[in-house]
Amino acid sequence: MDDVTVVLQSIGRGESQASEALFPLVYEELRRLAAARMAREAAGQTLQPTALVHEAWLQLVGAGDRTWKNRAHFFGAAADAMRRILIDNARRKSALKHGGGQQRVAMEDLEITAATPDEHVLLIDEALLWLETEDPEKARIVSLKFFGGLTNEEVAENMKISLRTVNRQWVVAKIKLFRWISERT
Amino acid sequence: MSPESQIEEAVCVAALNLPDPEVRSQFLDRACAGDTRLRAAVEAMLRAQAGAESFFERGREAVNVPELAAQAAERLKPPAAEVEPEDLTDKQLGSRLGRYQLRQKIGEGGCGTVYLAEQETPVRRPVALKVIKLGMDTKSVIARFEAERQALAMMDHPNIARVLDAGATETGRPFFVMELVRGMRITEYCNEQNFDTKQRLKLFIKVCHAILHAHQKSVIHRDIKPSNILVTLHDGEAVPKVIDFGIAKATADRLTDNTLVTSAGQFVGTPAYMSPEQADNTGLDVDTRSDIYSLGVLLYELLTGRTPFDTKMLMESGVDAMRRTLREREPQLPSTMITSMRRTELTLTAGQRHSEPPKLISELKGDLDWIVMKALDKDRNRRYQTANGLAMDIQRYLDNEPVMARPPSQVYRLKKLVRRNKLTFIAGTAVTVALLLGLGLSTWLFLRERAANAREARLRAAAEDRAKITQAVMFVSQGKLQEAEGALNQVKNFPPDPTLDSASALRSVGEWLALQGRWQPASERYLALLKVNQLDSPGQVVFDYQACGVVLAASGDRADYDRFWQQAATHFDEMPNESIVLAGSLLPLDKTQIERLKPMAAATERQIHSLAKNRQSEWTFTPMGLWQLRCGNDEGAVQWCQRAQAQGQRYPPCDAMVDAILAMAHYHQGKTSEACSELAQARELVDAKFKSGLDRGRAGYGFWFDWVFARQLEQEAGALVKCEVAPPGSD
Repeated sequence: MDDVTVVLQSIGRGESQASEALFPLVYEELRRLAAARMAREAAGQTLQPTALVHEAWLQLVGAGDRTWKNRAHFFGAAADAMRRILIDNARRKSALKHGGGQQRVAMEDLEITAATPDEHVLLIDEALLWLETEDPEKARIVSLKFFGGLTNEEVAENMKISLRTVNRQWVVAKIKLFRWISERT
Repeated sequence: MSPESQIEEAVCVAALNLPDPEVRSQFLDRACAGDTRLRAAVEAMLRAQAGAESFFERGREAVNVPELAAQAAERLKPPAAEVEPEDLTDKQLGSRLGRYQLRQKIGEGGCGTVYLAEQETPVRRPVALKVIKLGMDTKSVIARFEAERQALAMMDHPNIARVLDAGATETGRPFFVMELVRGMRITEYCNEQNFDTKQRLKLFIKVCHAILHAHQKSVIHRDIKPSNILVTLHDGEAVPKVIDFGIAKATADRLTDNTLVTSAGQFVGTPAYMSPEQADNTGLDVDTRSDIYSLGVLLYELLTGRTPFDTKMLMESGVDAMRRTLREREPQLPSTMITSMRRTELTLTAGQRHSEPPKLISELKGDLDWIVMKALDKDRNRRYQTANGLAMDIQRYLDNEPVMARPPSQVYRLKKLVRRNKLTFIAGTAVTVALLLGLGLSTWLFLRERAANAREARLRAAAEDRAKITQAVMFVSQGKLQEAEGALNQVKNFPPDPTLDSASALRSVGEWLALQGRWQPASERYLALLKVNQLDSPGQVVFDYQACGVVLAASGDRADYDRFWQQAATHFDEMPNESIVLAGSLLPLDKTQIERLKPMAAATERQIHSLAKNRQSEWTFTPMGLWQLRCGNDEGAVQWCQRAQAQGQRYPPCDAMVDAILAMAHYHQGKTSEACSELAQARELVDAKFKSGLDRGRAGYGFWFDWVFARQLEQEAGALVKCEVAPPGSD
């Protein structure tokens, strides 16, 4: 039995700290998959979170426990992991564009209209840090949807909220994030 | 989150669901109720919305590469799919596949290559042989085909190309053998011929009939699209042929769970023509109504030149987005689609339809828009329930009759809005909203929702009823009256708007019940029929009244008959009509009823006097005889009856009526022996008829209800006339 199955089963038994135990495993697997993809793809290609996350799920859990409940836990962790990978990736590319090196790009330097897609991702990540303190539910939805590539149904299942709430919160969250970003760039 | 921002968000989300600026502004007026701070906050959010969407759209580009999705999907395919057998090369042409000799390649499609081949045994004939391209498990494809083979073999329709055989090539690829159809795609054919909208609709109706035939044999096509509907010429007439029946089912492989993607990242099926439930693949069974949706897409394309959703857009958006679009996005109305075209495309589209842009737009607007949208409903329960229903509605449009499809009303749209936001309003913030804004908003929302819910329930019930009626009509057209009766039994309320459909279904089923002597259910059908038969010819309406009166009298409920009587009197009023005089005199009448019917009877009498001799008949005089009997004028009754008997051409049911009337009149006059002899004659006629079995009958010679009428009078006479010797024939 592999690590992920063990962790998922302990989540099933209600050992909540298992959720955190899941993250590094998923993160590693996603990075491995992403690296394999990047190596095979032409330069400039980036990642499709849904594809990666679903693939990671198949890779890690295999033919093991595929209950929907555990899938929800897994996707929660995977969204966080995906976010980290994407942000690292975007930082690297954006930094290259802004003269190389590993230093972070200051938000004030970004022109919102001229920002690259990668810089959009960075801005959204920044704004999301703010929204996490302001309105955690909305922030979680954004993270799952935008970074995890989850469908609204999967988000609803993951967060145990209704589909309508997801739809509504997602619309409002985008407006809030965008206004926050607009005020600062 | 503060209560203020909760309200701001709730109002903002609700406003976003109202795309019409005026409606939105009205909504904000009411929702904010003079609260300028709230209004300003909401307006600011609304202003930022478009920017937010495009910002996230742009951000998504960084994390969304469709090719990668396809790559991932490819890795998920089963091992069997990895083995892609070699293509049949040209040098193999002329070679043999079982009992088929390949002649030439005639087409290449998404899922296979089609060859012209020659079958050698048992008969020599040209066939189309389609070799499936997908590298899938040949055994299971053929097994699935075998499973449906019997159903496919039962299909025999001039507009369906038969699927004859299936097998496997040496390299293990499945192939199908079909009747050879040399034709052009239906859409291309219509464009090439510059078919106008009417011609296109007529051709499309034929396609519907073919699909209906298959559905009646429980075969679902699953892949209806222009390339599967070819038009050939037969005696100069365009004949559509549906090909590939059963093939989609045999080749639709479940690759991995929730995946509709094949090795090449293609959808199984063609996204633009796929029903939401097909695309969703959530285990919901695909039934015949999925084909109705695809027919709707085809109709859309025939009318506008485009599919409701662009194929390219669907393919590029990725599997999830594609599903979402098919499941959630409302397509544009066909007329709106045309209007939004660029000038050159618009002119071309109109030209191909032998029309000009403004004319084409106004042609599509209204009925055709709603017919197409009804077929394309996301909810299969709201679609046409049968291909016949769709075909009939189009026929009604062509005949300038009212169609069943209706635009969603304002209330219906509002209901959708409320339903979408119910959680926002009810669960989330109703309490806060009520406290902070006072009763205004919440009361308004509550009332609006209540009205919408009631209306929704009614609409849904009406839609279900309509579907049942369509079903009944279909059964009637197949002569399955038992099933038709079952379908009608499930109808809760007959739609208040008259339709020829419901009228003919009710009439056929009512008649069928009456012929079995099931008067009670028959009378229910006829009472409903009288409500909806307003579109029929006046002659048909009179027959319906006659039948209804007879059935009610036979069911033995005098109160029902009196209500019917009143309705007939109101409907025909003082118009001369001997059939209604007859129907209205079936049972003894009270003074008020006699007064009410007098003007009609007088008018009818005047009309009879003015009739030319050759237009008078036994049927003209008999009603007046019965009427006089009801008025207590026995001598008058006898005179009219004698005139009836003097006619050269005699009709048995009418004779029986005359005999019964005379029996009663004579008896009143004290002529017992004459009465008894008339009664005996009436009884003989009636008994003979009912012994030999009642049939529908026909105009002029008397319908079934004329015989039931005669028996009713004969029984009334039998109860009245006391004869010393039992008349012959009674045992």
